[in-house]
Amino acid sequence: MHIMEGFLPWQWCLVWWLIALPCLALGIYQLKRVLKADREALPLLGVTGGFIFILSSLKLPSVTGSCSHPTGTGLSAIAFGPWITAVIGAIVLLFQALFLAHGGLSTLGANTVSMGIVGPLAGWAIYRGLRDTRVSMFVTVFLACAFADLFTYVVTSLELALAYPAQMGGVGSSFVVFMGIFAVTQVPLAILESVILVLVFKYIVQLRPGILVRLKVFPEGMITAARSDA
Amino acid sequence: MLRKYRFEILAILAIIAFCALFLYTSSVMGNAEFAGSDDVGSSQISKITGIPEESFHPLIWQWVAPSGEIESALFALQAAIGGIFVGWFFGYWKGLKEQVKE
Repeated sequence: MHIMEGFLPWQWCLVWWLIALPCLALGIYQLKRVLKADREALPLLGVTGGFIFILSSLKLPSVTGSCSHPTGTGLSAIAFGPWITAVIGAIVLLFQALFLAHGGLSTLGANTVSMGIVGPLAGWAIYRGLRDTRVSMFVTVFLACAFADLFTYVVTSLELALAYPAQMGGVGSSFVVFMGIFAVTQVPLAILESVILVLVFKYIVQLRPGILVRLKVFPEGMITAARSDA
Repeated sequence: MLRKYRFEILAILAIIAFCALFLYTSSVMGNAEFAGSDDVGSSQISKITGIPEESFHPLIWQWVAPSGEIESALFALQAAIGGIFVGWFFGYWKGLKEQVKE
């Protein structure tokens, strides 16, 4: 999902940076507040953030004959919301821009918007929509993680389509082409990633249910029921 | 037993299915290069604009790993950093739980 350094006109780099910066500022503010309010939030942040580091470093082969990587942002989006997730996402993307030449400093804004902000926002929206329904907690986590991953690539496609509309058909037809490259490749990866993150979530529920209740991630009754069940 | 470990079983099945899918696609698509989708995206940009890929220059200077080996080492480092965080805090939680039991 990285837009490579130099492959985005500077005007678009600026646009995405301007969108990303206020979100990151809000994320840093929220992060300070959450960590101050509850010291037990730090380990949860370490685990969910750690998985963003791990999963986004794995470039996996997919059905389209190309490789791509999962994002791992769904779990953090559920636990801490999209803005704090944006901060962790931006740190990972900065590491990759500086040391791995995956994405660059000029495109970091655009890449943060796709992987750090809109992807997690989509996952978080799914989670919020399903949290208070009768849908199983684990199904909710699965869907939220899958959408956070997939939407990252939808946004990357959109960012590229806006910057490079096709001569025939404009932004729309360009978008379809980039979706074919990014989003289709991503479907099996998103499913695999989400199954694994559901397992991780189960371990968190078993080991440290208190923090999930205090952060109001899921209602207490649901977490207690899942603990006695698993 | 089966119900207790249902997510572990699902995860293993998903990994096996993923590997099987890869083996199938790589044998059917003889010319698949399994290049990064970032690069495929970049070549698509040059196709749309008609500008050769070499003509895209970094806007901000960027360090590029001298070889694939060095790059993969740094990728492994990224995963290791994540692994340390995950292992550290899961271990911390596990320890807390054991303490409560005693």
